[in-house]
Order: sequence, then C-alpha cells, then structure tokens
Amino acid sequence: MTTATGLAPKRADELEHLLGALRDPANPTGASAVLAADERAETLAAGETLLDSYGLNAEFVPPELGGRLERADHLAEVMRALYRRDPALGLGYGASSLIAAVTLWTAGDERHTGHAAGLLLDGRRIAIAFHELAHGNDMAGTEFDANPAPDGGLRLSGRKEVVTNIARADAMVVLARTDPRPGPRSHSLVLVDRAGADPARLTDLPRFTTVGMRGVQLGGLCFDELPVSASALLGPVGSGLETALKALQITRTVLPAMTTGILDTGLRIAVDHLTRRRLYGGPATAIPHVRSVLAGVFADLLRAEALGAVGARALHLAPGAASVYASAVKFEVSRLLLEAMDRLAELLGAHFYLREGPTALFQKLLRDLAPVGFGHIARAACQMSLLPQLPLLARRTWDRPGTEAPGDLFALDRALPPLRYDRLALHAAGRDPVVGSLHALTDTTWAPDHADLRTAVLADHAELTELAAVCGQLSPVDLGIDARPEHYDLVTRYVRLLSRTACVQVWRHAAPAGFLADPAWVRAALHRSTPGSHRPGPLPAPVEDRLYAELADRHTSGRSFGLTGRPLAAFGPRAL
Amino acid sequence: MTTTTELETLLAAHEDDVFSPDTLAALDARDEFPGDAVRVLDEAGLPSHYVLAPDGDVSETVRLLRTVARRDLTVAVAHGKTFLGTAPVWVAGTPAQVARLAERVRRGEAVCWGLTERDHGADLLAGELAAVAEPGGAATDGGWRLTGEKWLINNATRATLACVLARTDPAGGGRGFSLFVVDRAGLPEGAWRDLPKVRTHGIRGADISGFTLEGAPVGADALVGAEGDGIAVVLKALQLTRIACTALSLGAADHALLLAREFAVGRELYGRRLAEVPHVRRILGRAAAAALTAEAVSALSARSVHTLPGELSVISAITKAYVPTLTQETLGSLGELLGVRGFLTSPPGVGFAKLERDHRICAIFDGSTVVNRTALLSQLPRLTRKLTRRRTDNEGLRAAADLTAPLPAFDRNRLSLLSLTGCSAVQALPELAERVQEEGPPGTGGLMDRLLTELASLERESADFLPVADGLPSTAFALAERYERAYAAAAVLLLWRENPALRTGRLGADGLWLRACLTVLLGEGDHDKAGDHANENDVLDALAAALLGTTDTQFTLWGGTA
Repeated sequence: MTTATGLAPKRADELEHLLGALRDPANPTGASAVLAADERAETLAAGETLLDSYGLNAEFVPPELGGRLERADHLAEVMRALYRRDPALGLGYGASSLIAAVTLWTAGDERHTGHAAGLLLDGRRIAIAFHELAHGNDMAGTEFDANPAPDGGLRLSGRKEVVTNIARADAMVVLARTDPRPGPRSHSLVLVDRAGADPARLTDLPRFTTVGMRGVQLGGLCFDELPVSASALLGPVGSGLETALKALQITRTVLPAMTTGILDTGLRIAVDHLTRRRLYGGPATAIPHVRSVLAGVFADLLRAEALGAVGARALHLAPGAASVYASAVKFEVSRLLLEAMDRLAELLGAHFYLREGPTALFQKLLRDLAPVGFGHIARAACQMSLLPQLPLLARRTWDRPGTEAPGDLFALDRALPPLRYDRLALHAAGRDPVVGSLHALTDTTWAPDHADLRTAVLADHAELTELAAVCGQLSPVDLGIDARPEHYDLVTRYVRLLSRTACVQVWRHAAPAGFLADPAWVRAALHRSTPGSHRPGPLPAPVEDRLYAELADRHTSGRSFGLTGRPLAAFGPRAL
Repeated sequence: MTTTTELETLLAAHEDDVFSPDTLAALDARDEFPGDAVRVLDEAGLPSHYVLAPDGDVSETVRLLRTVARRDLTVAVAHGKTFLGTAPVWVAGTPAQVARLAERVRRGEAVCWGLTERDHGADLLAGELAAVAEPGGAATDGGWRLTGEKWLINNATRATLACVLARTDPAGGGRGFSLFVVDRAGLPEGAWRDLPKVRTHGIRGADISGFTLEGAPVGADALVGAEGDGIAVVLKALQLTRIACTALSLGAADHALLLAREFAVGRELYGRRLAEVPHVRRILGRAAAAALTAEAVSALSARSVHTLPGELSVISAITKAYVPTLTQETLGSLGELLGVRGFLTSPPGVGFAKLERDHRICAIFDGSTVVNRTALLSQLPRLTRKLTRRRTDNEGLRAAADLTAPLPAFDRNRLSLLSLTGCSAVQALPELAERVQEEGPPGTGGLMDRLLTELASLERESADFLPVADGLPSTAFALAERYERAYAAAAVLLLWRENPALRTGRLGADGLWLRACLTVLLGEGDHDKAGDHANENDVLDALAAALLGTTDTQFTLWGGTA
C-alpha cells in the first residue's frame, strides 16, 4: 500500500478555500479577525468552528483508524494553511493534539488508539501533559508520580504546567514517574480520560499568558492522588521516555516544517508593502538592497521547506534514522525562520512595528514564531541529542560509501509507504541515508552548466570527510551535557551539510520544467549556507534576478512562496 | 541635575511602586503611558541633562538614560525623546532660542521631533508638510504658517513643543526645508490636531502618534537656523541623537544579562546547574562580550561628541547601525536560552518578552540601520583614502578614549555633514593593533594578526567601491558592516590602551575583556586551527565566569575594575 502522489494533497486547497481571503475584513477567519482575537488573547472561535467542520483532527489519525494521516509531508502542507494566517490556531487547535496522537499511535494498544481516534474524529482534544516548569526539556527529570495502588491501578500526583488545552481537553497523555530511581526506564505514559476522572482530584492552575501565540490556551493541572486503571498505561511500565523520544521524532520534524507558513505570509506582507511604498522617487522594490534581502529570504524559505520535506519523507522511508533528522530539522529550520523574519522586520522598518494598518499581521507572526526555537524541544537540546550519535554516523556512513538513500526520499511528488511507528528508533545506529548520498553525488555525471554545483558538492564531500575524521575519534563519554562547545559546533557543521545535501537532492529529483528543477534556487540555497560566523554576502546577480522574478511572479499570481508554489486562491491576486 | 548614582538610588527606591516591573508590565498590557515613572524622572532633574548647550556632557546623558533603560525601555524612550526633539536647537538655535528652550526643558516640558510623514518614512526630502511665509513682510519679520501632517511621532500628543521639519520651497531639495519650534500653547484653536495613538509591537505605552497642522501660525523667531537649513540642521542633530540612543541598547543588554544570569544560576537541568554547562557558558560569554563591545563603542562615540565633533557624521552612523543591531542579536540568543521563561508574560516569566519587544524600536527610529549604513557608505571613498594614509586626529581620539580626561565643551560650530578627517579611530587601528601586539597582553598576538588581515582586506575591497545614485547594492552593505566592526575593534583597543584602570581587576587582568570582545568581533571558528577554536571558547568561558560571578545589576567595563 502506498499513499497519494503529488507535492500537496487536494484537501490543502480545500482548507485554504474554506479559510477564505486573508485580507477580507469581513472574513471571520481573515487577518482582521485573527488580529482582534490575538489582542484579546483568545482563540479564534470562528477558526475553531471552521476546523471542526473541515475535520482537521482527521489529519492526525492514521487511515486504518479512519483518518487522513497518510503522509507526514502532506500533513505539514495542510497545516501550513493555518500557520500562514494564525499560528495560534495551528498550534492551539491542531499541533498539540497531534503531539499527543503520535504517542498513542506509537505505544497505545487497540483500545487506546480506538478511543483516541474516536475522540479526535469527533472533534475533541487530547492534551500532551509532559511539561513541568522545573525540568523543561529534561524529560528524565519529570517528578510527576504514578504510584501503584492496592487495586492494581495507579494514583497520579503532581503538577503539569504550561500545557496547551489542558483545561479543555477530553483526554491527555501524561508522562509520569513510575520508579523513583534515576534512569531511562523510570517513567511511563498514561492516557488520562479527563471526562471520566474524579474532578475533586484535579485542580486547574490559572492560565499562563505569553507574548506570542496569545490565543493558545496554556494551562496547568494539579493531580492529587487521581486513581486510574492499569490499562491506562501506554506500553509497558518504564517505557515512557523511550516512547516519547521515538514518537516525538514525528512532531519535531513536522511542526517546524508547518511553521514555514509563518515566513510565507511574512514574506508576502513585506513584498506587498514594499511594492506599494514609494521611496526616493520609486517603488521600494526597485532598491537593489531591498530586492537582495527579499530574494535571500525567499531562498531561505525554500531551503527550510526542502529540509523539512526530506525529514518528513524520511519518517516513511528511513524511520530508523529519524532520531537524527528530527533534531536536525528542528534545529535548522527554526534558525532559518527566526533569522529570515528578523531580516524582513528590518526591511519593513517602522511598518513592522505597527499593530494596525496593512502590515499589522507581521508583528503577530513574529511573536508567534518565537516558540519554534524553544518549544517542544529547544534548539540546544537538539544539539545535545545529536552529539552522541556523531561518532557512529561518522564511522558507518560519512567516511565510506554504501548507505544509499531510498529512491523516493528526494522525489517530493512520489507516493510514500505508510508511516511505521514501530520502526522509529532511539538511535540511528550510524545510518544516515541523506548525507550518505553525498558519496554517490561526487561520482555522478553533471551537466556542464552545473559545474559550479558539482564543485560545491565536491567541497561538501571533502568537508564531510574531514568531519568524519574528527567525529570518528570522539568518545560518546565526551558528548554528554558537559560536552565542550567545540563539539556542539560539530553538530552545526553536520546539520549544514545535511541541509545542503537535501537541497541538492531535491533539485536533482525535481520534476523537469518546474521551478524546483531550476538550478537558481539550489545555487541560492548553497550560497546562503556558506560557512562563516558573519552572514554570507548577497547572492550572485543572475541567481538573485531569477529568484526575485519568481518571487514577484508568485506574488502577483497569488501563489505560495514555499516548495509547492501552490495557488493560494484565497489570497487573491495582489490587490488589497 | 542628577548624577548616575543619585538616579540609581532614586529608581531603586521606586522599585516597588512606579518603577516596579509589574506596574510597568500592566501599563504595557493596557497600552498606557507610564506617566508616574516619567514624573519621577522629571522631579529628579533628568531633563536638565538633555540641555546640551553650553556645558552638557553627552556621555553622562547616556549613562543616566541607560540607568532608566535597564529598568524599562518604554519609560526611557518616552522621557529621552526630549533630547531628540531639542537637539536641533542646541545645534543651530540662536542664544535666545537656546535659553528659552533650556528653561522649558528644565521645567520638565516634553518636546517632540516632527520629522517623518505617513507615506515617506526616512525619505525626508519627500516631506509634504509646508511652511509658508506670512504675506506682507519678509519671512524673517512676519512669521510663518505651517500646514500638513507628521506621523509616527514619539510624544506628539504629550509634547508642549514640537520641532517640525517643513518644506519652505515648493520645489524641495536639500535647501528646500526649514525647521521650526512650534509651541502648541501659542496656537489658535484648531491649528493643531492630535492624531490618534498608534498601537505598536513594543513600547506599547509610549505616545506614538502624530499631528496635523492647519495653517498653524508661528513667529519669525520659531525658525531654527536659516531658511533652507532644515535638512542640514536635522542631519547635524542626528549626529548627537544617534549616539545618545545607544543608552537604550546598553540598558536593554544590562537587563537581559541580569535575567539570563539569574536564570542560569538558579536553573537545574540534567542534574547540572545551567551556569555550569559549557555550552550555556559560551552563550553567556558571547552575550557578555557583545554587551561590553557595545559599551565601548557607545563610550568612545559619546565622548567623541566633545572631542571629535568634525567626525560625527561618520561616527554617529556607525554607532547607530552597530549598537542596536548587535544588541538585538544578543537579545535573540539570550531569549533562546531563557526559553519558555522568556516567552511567558505571567509567572514564572521574567519580563524578558517586554524588553525584547521594546528594544526592536531601537534599530528603527532616528534613522534605521539601513539609513545609517547608507550614510556611512556615502563617505566610504573618503574613509578609504584616509585609512590608506593612516592619518588621525590623535589628540581628539586620545581625549575620547581616556575616560578620566576632562571633556571639552561641545562645540557645535565644528559639526560637519562630511568628515574631512575621516574616522580617526579606524585609521588608528593598524597602529593600535601593532602596539597591542608588542605590548601584550599575552594571547592577543593571533587576534591582532587576524584583525590586521581583515582590515587590509576591507581596505582593498573598499577601494573598489563607488557610491551610485540609484541605490546601493547589498555588497556595499556588507562593506559597511565590516567597517562598523573595524570601528568597534578600534574602540575596544583604544579603551584598553588609554585606561590603566581597565587593565586590572577581574575583567582586565590578562586582557580578558579585550580578548573576549575581539574574539567575538572577528568571528569564532573562521579559521582552520582547532586549537585556536578551543582557546576562543576558553576566553568566552572565562568571561561567562566573570558575568556569573558578579552581583552588580550592570555588567560593565567600569564595574569589572573594582
């Protein structure tokens, strides 16, 4: 069995159509309504109603349980429709239930998954109650207790804090300590049915407020010896951390990937504004520096989406390596998005700073973007999780040919095999098919027009060889929390190579005649990821011109700026 | 008048009322002006420090505003604006205008600066608000009528006085504009209409609004400078205000470093205090080095107002482009470190989110980073020639760098739109680097080599640069950034060499701060030697230790000498 083909599923267009014109002030899910809800720190009610009727939750449920979660890359593309206009809706309605859902599909038995699928398909929410303020990303530090009760069940005690939708979820997946000893087998996941729980044993904490994602309802819950039956455990006692670390590879890949929708709209607002604005006797977009920045940001969006797409497809085709790719996607895509939005803010100048007028949505998007750097897992924690894998990756993949990428990994329009949650693994065991494909790239034939790209690939291969030599010598003992900062930099170097290879391969595997097959974008992507502690210089003129022309064309014809370049009919042509 | 110590004491005494973070956060949430806090500053005599003529000290003004800014940027922006609004008069006013304005500023009246217009932003030459000479007499006798709109003006609604740039020649051009001090109280009903407050991303409480003038009559004595001098006077005034604005960035960095330090010391993860995790310490060390570099640039530039006034067209552009940008990047990395605590606005949020939002205005107002880089690039050919000749105003430079040297009074007659002597600090850099190479401290030889290499390459590439009329390419902006970093390196070396006090103590011994600042300035890991990379991390780690070890509320070069 395989899934649908194509860069994006049809239903992404349907959702886009339902959401309506972003700029229509009368649209209950348009920018004006989105901003008004943000000002009140409320969830966009009309948006939730719309998503109920669209049945967004089905996107998070596997097909065999009645849902539409076929392809991780398609999931990201559907969710981008929300992140393009109201990231708080994307996270508050969607992504938080998705995080809970993947733990269930990974570790739940038939009853759990049936129950969870039923809830989600019925439009209910499932919260993911992992976070405790005292421990942050350190899941192994979780204090929340699940103690055995005389009746064979469990008693849950402790606090979960800064949890999305916890006050209004019908169920929640809780990470609880089932063994007082430190170690990786001391925690378990418990599915708590909030509707059926004794309310006297649960106390909601006051809502947490935030500077961005203000519409997301962040709460906390205090458990006082809440009884649950032993059948509420997901997987064996002690498997909680392992399940979480595996399952969340999916969300750590697709959440950053869907977040690119923020940059897509941010870029559109900037192009809109700068096209209209006249400075120094002409439109601002005639200023060479303005064009350079816009073209550079466009390139950054494309490479963020290329890495995200390869990461998402690897979940299907190389699930055993997802521990590496999920952390890499989260680490790199978040950085690209944060930096790109800052560049756009500089270009917009005072107009980025206004909470009213035609550019008002930008500042909200900027505030909503911040959690991509620390939410779900922090960028530094991604580096930490990658570090101990480097030596084996170096020895098994980087320093020798042999680890080949599955054929369709980079052909973004090809169908994918179903997600196999049971194939996710804590470690990649040194298998890295994406960067491994760099070996073969050096031997392949290149058109004379692409000699510069071949040179870049050869240089990357040389860099990989050097990196392999360094990392191959490292002992995992040096790579824990106390690792030297130089070792963290090895992760950064690796992710850079991974991201560059992903872009080159996506370009090589792109359907002919499309924009993705045009070498301009991959030249830009490689140029923008040149190493160095200061920003790389502007793109070569022909590359910049080609990218800017494409950007302007997509802007005029109302298409998205990401990999798919889809018509966003709902945005309409440029007119405001 | 007040001193930094007095102001610090006063503000500390108000930490539980009008300057309490909760109070200020609540005002921010309601988009409400921090009137009580502003009143405290008025009563403390802070406005006197906005009066530059005849004996003001810009470096002292920066220190005072920094003290305010580290508590609340909105308050600092709202109060400090009067310095911006009055600067044109200090630069070009008659003795009578200066005296009149000084008296009103000392009384605590707010003065706004009406420069920008809705459709033109930084493009001042496109300004439409017009002043027409009253008929029946020469302009100098009969006064003027002003008509038009100014928008996105800080304190437009609260100010009693506005310094307004108006078109006095319908044909416009560099000599087509003039500056007027408009006294609201003297206008007939309806001549001045406030525009509604504009809701903003940060500094939400500030009075960002505008006004419309409808034939507003002003006397001949409202004209600042001569008719047609407007743009030139504005450009000269900006040379002062763009340097003073660094106080806001330094205060923001103080605040953020304090929050990050408390977080790292108090937070335990993976069985360690964050303050002990090497990777975290590097982030803190980098942030600390960036803050000290910004401080060095600000100090040198502020003192240069008095000692190198002829070079301010260059110095102010560099300073305004460099310090807010560097500080915003620093806030970004510290925000990532703080994670959810930097994002929450309810407990246990630490107030970081507000300061980060507030600070983003610093790279925008008073000339954005791009505007300042453009200004710098317009002089780059001359700067490159001067750099090649290595000639400097040595006396002015040393007086700026020696923090104990008495400052001469600010001499507005020496201000110039183009710096004939270039930028002495950057031109002195080759010699400074060679001196430090000879004299030590140990461990700086490699850094000086790299600095000289970079400077030589900058000199070479700048020589090929030609300003073009129809917009500068991005490659030019990259050159401007490099020139700014060269200035920052010069500031660091100059302060090091001219101040024995900065060569001792926790930060000064072994040149710790010097090495850390240059390490970050030159870019880490931009070379092949792994050993050097480890050394870089050791330096930053040591600076992080100094940051973590301090109990001061500010992390400053002068604090580290104790």
